[in-house]
Amino acid sequence: MGWDGTGRDGAAAAAAVLCRRDGAVADYRDRPGGDCAPRDTGSCRGDAAGDGKGNPGAAGPGAAPSVRLWSDFLNVHLHPRSLYVIRQYLHDGDCGSLEAFGQGESLLQDPACLEELEDRLHFFVEECDYLQGFQVLCDLHNGFSGVGAKVTELLHDEYSRKGILTWGLTPVLSAVGDPQKSFYRVMNTALGIAHLCRHSSLFCPLSLNGSLGIKPQPPVTFPYIKYDASLDYHSSAIVAAALDALTAPYRLCSCQGSMLHFADSLTFSGRKVVAAWAALPLPALSGSSLPDILSAHQQDLPWKLLSSCREQKLSCCFAQSVVLRGICQEKSSSSCPGQPRSPLHSCDSPEQVLQQFLHTQFPGAFSTAHVLQQPCDTRPPFPQFFSPLLTTRGFLLDKAQGFSSAGVESIPVLAALQSSPGLLPLLSGLCRELRAPSARRWSSLGTAGLEHDDFQEALEELRTLAQCYETGLGAGGSEDEADSD
Amino acid sequence: MDEWVGKERGGPAASHVCWGRGAAHPPRAARRLVSGSGDIKLTKDGNVLLQEMVSWGCSSHGDLGRDLRTPLSERESHPPLPHPPLSIESKMSLGMRQIQHPTASLIAKVATAQDDITGDGTTSNVLIIGELLKQADLYISEGLHPRIVAEGFEIAKEKALEVLEQVKVSKEMDRETLIDVARTSLRTKVHAELADILTEAVVDSVLTVRKPGEPIDLYMVEIMEMKHKSETDTTLIRGLVLDHGARHPDMKKRVEDAFVLTCNVSLEYEKTEVSSGFFYKSAEEREKLVKAERKFIEDRVNKIIELKRKVCGDSDKGFVVINQKGIDPFSLDALAKEGIVALRRAKRRNMERLTLACGGTAMNSVEDLTPDCLGHAGLVYEYTLGEEKYTFIEKCENPRSVTLLIRGPNKHTLTQIKDAVRDGLRAVKNAIEDGCVVPGAGALEVAVANALVKHKPSVKGRAQLGVQAFADALLIIPKVLAQNSGYDPQETLVKVQAEHVESGQLTGVDLSTGEPMVAAAAGIWDNYNVKKQLLHSCTVIASNILLVDEIMRAGMSSLKG
Repeated sequence: MGWDGTGRDGAAAAAAVLCRRDGAVADYRDRPGGDCAPRDTGSCRGDAAGDGKGNPGAAGPGAAPSVRLWSDFLNVHLHPRSLYVIRQYLHDGDCGSLEAFGQGESLLQDPACLEELEDRLHFFVEECDYLQGFQVLCDLHNGFSGVGAKVTELLHDEYSRKGILTWGLTPVLSAVGDPQKSFYRVMNTALGIAHLCRHSSLFCPLSLNGSLGIKPQPPVTFPYIKYDASLDYHSSAIVAAALDALTAPYRLCSCQGSMLHFADSLTFSGRKVVAAWAALPLPALSGSSLPDILSAHQQDLPWKLLSSCREQKLSCCFAQSVVLRGICQEKSSSSCPGQPRSPLHSCDSPEQVLQQFLHTQFPGAFSTAHVLQQPCDTRPPFPQFFSPLLTTRGFLLDKAQGFSSAGVESIPVLAALQSSPGLLPLLSGLCRELRAPSARRWSSLGTAGLEHDDFQEALEELRTLAQCYETGLGAGGSEDEADSD
Repeated sequence: MDEWVGKERGGPAASHVCWGRGAAHPPRAARRLVSGSGDIKLTKDGNVLLQEMVSWGCSSHGDLGRDLRTPLSERESHPPLPHPPLSIESKMSLGMRQIQHPTASLIAKVATAQDDITGDGTTSNVLIIGELLKQADLYISEGLHPRIVAEGFEIAKEKALEVLEQVKVSKEMDRETLIDVARTSLRTKVHAELADILTEAVVDSVLTVRKPGEPIDLYMVEIMEMKHKSETDTTLIRGLVLDHGARHPDMKKRVEDAFVLTCNVSLEYEKTEVSSGFFYKSAEEREKLVKAERKFIEDRVNKIIELKRKVCGDSDKGFVVINQKGIDPFSLDALAKEGIVALRRAKRRNMERLTLACGGTAMNSVEDLTPDCLGHAGLVYEYTLGEEKYTFIEKCENPRSVTLLIRGPNKHTLTQIKDAVRDGLRAVKNAIEDGCVVPGAGALEVAVANALVKHKPSVKGRAQLGVQAFADALLIIPKVLAQNSGYDPQETLVKVQAEHVESGQLTGVDLSTGEPMVAAAAGIWDNYNVKKQLLHSCTVIASNILLVDEIMRAGMSSLKG
């Protein structure tokens, strides 16, 4: 479907996703030059840290040190119409970049630019037989949040009753940053979230950052991946793999719901923001069955939060859509005879197993489960940053077997989109940090085309949004309802 | 382009506007300024920005004066430009946000305002302001206070406007006159052969969309680009061109004498709640529900087919459906079987124009379809160009919206023609709305300068000098015209002035001979409101700049430091 390649470097690029059943939004730009280090260096560093065994063979074609831009990693050939280069701004360097929300917004207020975008969009939309909707991938930390806001508004106006699923991306932020720059980043993020939510059916922040606030938190870690957080190449690969799994429910030919219904099932009661979780890879012993794998994680779910809000032990959510891929073919190998060991073992199909598991883990939540046979493909240009404890197919090695030397070609993934109270700290945190900006900052922001009233309105919207996620239990409570039986 | 750049004319007043810097660029010094989002950022200094503002998009080694002067060559067979320069409008709109230098930004703003209000005269605007500053500086450097100069400018402006009123020619705006006006405007922008083709197309399109007693809406003239053939294949289409085709192999590629149904009705099966997996128990039940849903769509398609049968009967008239929403393959198939050509997902902006071009009304539901809501087109055909398809809806009766189809071999040409066409349209519109025109080719400026010199003795005190400066500054227009055509500016100017005084007629520069000529007789007409706006805005801005002169200088030195 042309998804993997497009999405792979999606962490920070406001990239479009073109697939036959969905629409397309084209908002490309070049990647910052210095950020993407050569592929082979990256993978070697990751492996070397693990066991000293470099993996130069896995680098694959095009691993020359001259590889600098995201497009060099992209294997999909993009239609020339799917690219629109914004010429007014530079993407790299100290000045002239698209850095403020207002700049991005005003870019699309220019009739010529808007017309051009509409034309390009129309070119692809006209070709769609059954248009489901649009996936918008958009940077939150810079002026592209403004571009995204206008694009979703355009889509909302032009294609009512189509699903608009928006993914707000933020690259991994360096721990030490100019406080003023951080402030603007937070401002762009807050404005972006407020505006993107307004016109989207669903909004999900995607990032490996521990926090989107002024003070960056250390990035998310994965037990079987050793990635270099400073490389967009690595971080975006993780986000893209998660995105690939998360969006499967409405991208499969076999599924019945459209994007709009997918969004509706998650976003009731005004909770338009959802959080993404992913286990990359899902820790599973080679050859074990799905019920075995899942029952091993009864106490401690293996997935990590990819939405930059504080992870809570409390497993509680309003609604979720969970996708599991790359496991089920293993089931037949270890069907144990006689008495089923747990309720999970008594289910017939993998979907039912997963559904049952979710039911016990999240009682009272509205959960939908999807199981895909196909694992997530991790052959190059996907970075080889996996732990040597994984087999070629991404399963855990038995201890006796020692380390694997081959590259990891695919991994099983468990990913979920959750509408959960855990988003409250993210949303209210942004409001809190922006509440008292100094006057000096305001004066300069005025020039970037942002009215004070608009800003207050956006903050108010965020606050209203945050209120939707309040539970009676009090935010960040320590109730442990995940006590499974 | 360098051949036509004569001696550089850097005046002292150019200390803040670097007119004649020539090829010697200042070192591109990086200066710390405040960026849009408020933090300090590295940027270039004002002069560099000013130069880049005008050379934006073409070679970055352009110099302001040269770049601005070249486009201003008027009428009849001036030496063909190797690369006709981009029109200043596009540069202005692109460059505006890059300009940080206060004076440059002021001038750019005037030029933009001029473009917004009249659509033409931006180049003249920049030239005149520059020349006003230069002439004023001659006097100021001799100790005259800038305020006195500004006063003189004000008096001169009043007088100039008076002269403008006297020389304007009110006449009926027939096609001939409008063609003259459009030609004068277009020949300054594209080469002569193309200009003549565009002239006719532009005038005809405005005359078509004109409704008596109503202001002309130029949005009714759609400008469509097609990267194809050469620029002289640009045509006026009395109808519409859509940039997509029908999506069914069996639909006809060419229909004559067709009914056109414009609608905004979804003919696309959308998955609704029943199919999303929670409301049915078995596969059969789901099938049934899906079928029931599909029936909705089928009913709509059938309504359209019914109407087609009703209006077309057995005749071989065509029937075209243009839908703003989607049409799925099943519906397309059903329509194709009936010989209906269907286009889906038409752009919103085209929908409005469709009903204006073809007649009929846009339907939002199929419930109340009647033959009255159908439009008509003489010819509808599909044209494939590479992987792009175009649908031409032509030969509409009495279209109130037309399309100018611009063709050209490359993007650059297309943009250039597009800009020229826009200006041409504005010029024609202006002429119709003014109801009068003024002689072009520098004739007006010569006449005004002459009148000002005569008027000067009646002005009291030193303000006379301001009047004189104003008169001299206006003469930059005929001078640049002569210079751009390869003649000696002074010599030509003197000849033209002499001729004007002698004959009393409005005499301009004949660019093919360099000799004086009577502009009106040669059919060179400019827009009245362009000239009026020019006189107004140039005076105001030049005075403004003069009055803050001292502050400017201080600002410049701090920028340089």
